[in-house]
Amino acid sequence: MQNKRAIFGAKGLPYLLLAPQLIITAIFFLWPAGQAIWQSFLREDAFGIKTTFVALENYRYLFHDPSYLNSLKVTVVFALSTAALSMGAALILALAVDRMLRSARLYSTLLIWPYAVAPAIAGVLWWFMFNPTIGILPYLLEAVGYKWNHALDRGNAMTLVVIASAWKQISYNFLFFVAGLQAIPGSLREAAAIDGAGPVRRFWTITLPLLSPTTFFLLVVTIVYTMFDTFGVIDAITEGGPAQSTNILVYKVYQDGFVGLNLGSSAAQSVVLMGIVILLTVIQFRFVERRVNY
Amino acid sequence: MATLTLESLGKTYDSGASAVRDVNINVADGEFLVLVGPSGCGKSTLLRMIAGLETVTDGTIRIGDRVVNKLEPAERDIAMVFQNYALYPHMSVRENLSYGLRNRRMAKAEINRRVDEAAKILEIGDFLERKPRALSGGQRQRVAMGRAIVREPSVFLFDEPLSNLDAKLRVSMRGEIRSLQKRLGTTSVYVTHDQLEAMTLADRLVVLRAGKVEQIGTPLEVYQRPASTFVAEFIGSPAMNLLDGVMQGHALSIAGASLTLPHSHQGPVRVGVRAEDLRAAPAGTTGGLPVHLRYVEELGSQRLGHFDCAGERLIAAFPSGQALSDEMALMAPPEALHLFGADGMRLA
Repeated sequence: MQNKRAIFGAKGLPYLLLAPQLIITAIFFLWPAGQAIWQSFLREDAFGIKTTFVALENYRYLFHDPSYLNSLKVTVVFALSTAALSMGAALILALAVDRMLRSARLYSTLLIWPYAVAPAIAGVLWWFMFNPTIGILPYLLEAVGYKWNHALDRGNAMTLVVIASAWKQISYNFLFFVAGLQAIPGSLREAAAIDGAGPVRRFWTITLPLLSPTTFFLLVVTIVYTMFDTFGVIDAITEGGPAQSTNILVYKVYQDGFVGLNLGSSAAQSVVLMGIVILLTVIQFRFVERRVNY
Repeated sequence: MATLTLESLGKTYDSGASAVRDVNINVADGEFLVLVGPSGCGKSTLLRMIAGLETVTDGTIRIGDRVVNKLEPAERDIAMVFQNYALYPHMSVRENLSYGLRNRRMAKAEINRRVDEAAKILEIGDFLERKPRALSGGQRQRVAMGRAIVREPSVFLFDEPLSNLDAKLRVSMRGEIRSLQKRLGTTSVYVTHDQLEAMTLADRLVVLRAGKVEQIGTPLEVYQRPASTFVAEFIGSPAMNLLDGVMQGHALSIAGASLTLPHSHQGPVRVGVRAEDLRAAPAGTTGGLPVHLRYVEELGSQRLGHFDCAGERLIAAFPSGQALSDEMALMAPPEALHLFGADGMRLA
């Protein structure tokens, strides 16, 4: 490692320079996080008059609650499907750009646009397209004999939120995949071509293994995205329904806390979510930063 | 084992720029051909056309009796060593060597036999299980060679394979490539911009300039009878001296000196003379080329005098210990002079 240590004369100056960042972190992250942890140990009565310290009771209750366990399961299915769809599509688009010589720039710029769309708007957009009454896609699906109704069918609802969430994340994944592909020297692919590997075999044996650091990084980032940033999509399209089938963890925190006003349980759920993020971040730092495939 | 024939080969890009023009070369079976030229002369493009990595827009490429213009690189029965080695970084050395054979669904036992044999020839047996990043530059170079050898192709193609090595290693790898090629007897085409590498490796060398063949010949032929001033300046170190002169019949006058030559010509000429063909004119002789000494380079075995001669630079090689003075005269035997016309082409 390079020695990047700067030298300051006065003792207070480094702290002064760090202060804005530290203050923001303290006010907007550490304090609310502390509040959430403290809240998760409390239980309020129905009228909000009395608050009791119940220690881990909220957590114990949570992990025996079928609706919470269902939400965990829904989140896993949602996160993995969204990651698979958005990364798969992004990789295919990136491979297409990598082969393009001329209009690659224009094409890339167009593909980045969905990233600038707010999640709620993305949700509404897809909600309109898939609306069973006025949407174009259910109309087309009906022509091939499929009755689409995400307000009634659990599978339809999950499919729709996955599509809407993945659509937004494709742009981001696409950019990283393009950069990853361009970092692979052309001579490697040429050498493989001379070594008798066709395009498909080249992809599986050369391109994909060399992309693995990018892929792993994007997997973690996309999972974090699906767990936290998709609130707007869910809220705009399904509000967690039908029958809890799209009620992911972060949406349930909101529902139980702000709609159901069960603040103790909601806080406990936030703390669990926080634990998951910390775990994902640790995985990312330990493996992505250090363990590169080659 | 095969011959390689290039017939009026050309490459024009969509933009209209032409990289290679009307190249005709016959490479004999087992011959080591070197393509040499300054950067941008089309030598790499030519090699990549042979490999099938660039499309051919004119002419034909034949390997053995097969026209390979339209064949995929894999179908041409060639192996290529890249400038940056292009080793697969996520595979061990053994996997790197066997990749091309596995792609061709060769039997396991045969793959192992070939890999072990190549490893023995190249002395890389000790690190077959390592990844390329754990190897030194020279070792990577050997692995890249090994990947070509195990395929047992008709033609080896080398794209400046030594340019990433340090000077000392380059000289020893040069020798190894040469002896390996002799041993295997595989037809080879080698691209380099280094004229010394070209001279030492080649059975025949091809000097390219702006996409066209300037001269083809054995290293000695090219050195002794350069076809143009371009070749004269490119091949040989130090570069051949070129001076302006005028010929009237057999009489040549340059920079105030005059000489009688065996061949005749009328008009202005460029006169080339190698540094080692020049020597100091003994005191009192006339007809020498008057020069002014600028500085001396000591090489140990010899000393190079850098001179001014009527406004042009001139380099002469002397045995070490030879005394040089600021103002002196130089001589060269008439048969050591190369005459080029105003267009730069050789007259005689």
